[in-house]
Amino acid sequence: MSRRLSVFLQGLVIENPLAVIMIGLCSALAVTTSVANGIGMSLAMTFVIVASELIISLFRKLIPESIRMPIFIIVIAAFTTMVDLVMKAYFPELSKAMGVFIPLIVVNCIIMGRVEAFASKEGPLDSTLDALGMGLGYTWVLVGMAVVREILGNGTLLGFPIMPESYQPILFFVLPPGGFLVFALFISLNQILKKKWLESPLGCPDPEGGK
Amino acid sequence: MIRSMIRLGVILALFAGLACAGLAVVYSITGPVIAQQQQKDLEAALKAIFPDSDGFSDITPELAGPDPKITIRNGYVMKKGGSTIGAAVKAIGPSYSAGAVVLTGIGTDGKVVRAVILELNDTPGLGANAANPNYFVDKPNKITFMGQFAGKSLGDPFTAKGDVQAITASTITTQSIAAIVKASGAAAKAYLDTTGGAK
Repeated sequence: MSRRLSVFLQGLVIENPLAVIMIGLCSALAVTTSVANGIGMSLAMTFVIVASELIISLFRKLIPESIRMPIFIIVIAAFTTMVDLVMKAYFPELSKAMGVFIPLIVVNCIIMGRVEAFASKEGPLDSTLDALGMGLGYTWVLVGMAVVREILGNGTLLGFPIMPESYQPILFFVLPPGGFLVFALFISLNQILKKKWLESPLGCPDPEGGK
Repeated sequence: MIRSMIRLGVILALFAGLACAGLAVVYSITGPVIAQQQQKDLEAALKAIFPDSDGFSDITPELAGPDPKITIRNGYVMKKGGSTIGAAVKAIGPSYSAGAVVLTGIGTDGKVVRAVILELNDTPGLGANAANPNYFVDKPNKITFMGQFAGKSLGDPFTAKGDVQAITASTITTQSIAAIVKASGAAAKAYLDTTGGAK
């Protein structure tokens, strides 16, 4: 398997930012109470991580080691603010629903972590692929959790009622403890996928890519 | 040492400057759209409270809220054919998760005409039901949480589980919203009383 493809695939399961690296959890647990929020947050976060990793990778040789953190924060904050403004202007409903979590992407550990661990060392193409992989890995776990929590906890999917009239929503699932439970289930699901993946031909250890 | 600090400072300033330039471009494009959007939201909300009104004017500087925790953001006096039919006050106050923004309309008789939630970040399925048009605190009469404030007199105590029906498992949200409605109402009533509703 080519090295580039494996860079991209790492973030999906093997190094899933939520289920394996386990960073950026607080906003993930907080926004997954409804699917629309989950999708909005994932898209916003994927855009910010791709743009930030690309820019930082391009400028990586110009960023002095001792002030890399403030520079990373400036770049991430700039992109997050852009997303925030664009959402306020063109998707006001979504922006209202997401509330404070969009500005909080600035301090999302996944972006900071990948920028520090990957983009500040690798080239722009690899960094973009890494960011896309991480973004998609974040997306599937987030949207999956949101689907489970919204259906069980509210009886709806994307706001449409799908459960029978008689269904009494289990409020537990939209509350934080339910979030932890569903998250734990997704960690185990990811472990099963990871095991299957590593046994399949796709998961052949790659001397260069599999870090 | 000093030279390296200056060098680092200059580099940092350059990055910050570039980021600023990028933001300025995005802001100059989205800024007018956002302002337009907010104006549209406001007009729609005012129209929803006073469907008869044919105009409004800003009275924000003349309002004072009675509760220090609740900030009066904006106020509008509603007109119909030149005479005042009431006032609407937009206020923000603390709720369960973050600040909640509520627009409250008060008639010249000192009663709440209608109150509408503009922003609320409380838990979906719980506190967020305050703004849900399909969540009824009074199921047989199909009265929503916000619907119950219509026609309420400002002299009432506005306490959750007392004269304000609570949202299931969300007493904090209930009490917060009720307090915002009461404070906004008091501010609007004070204005209407001093101007005699004749302005």
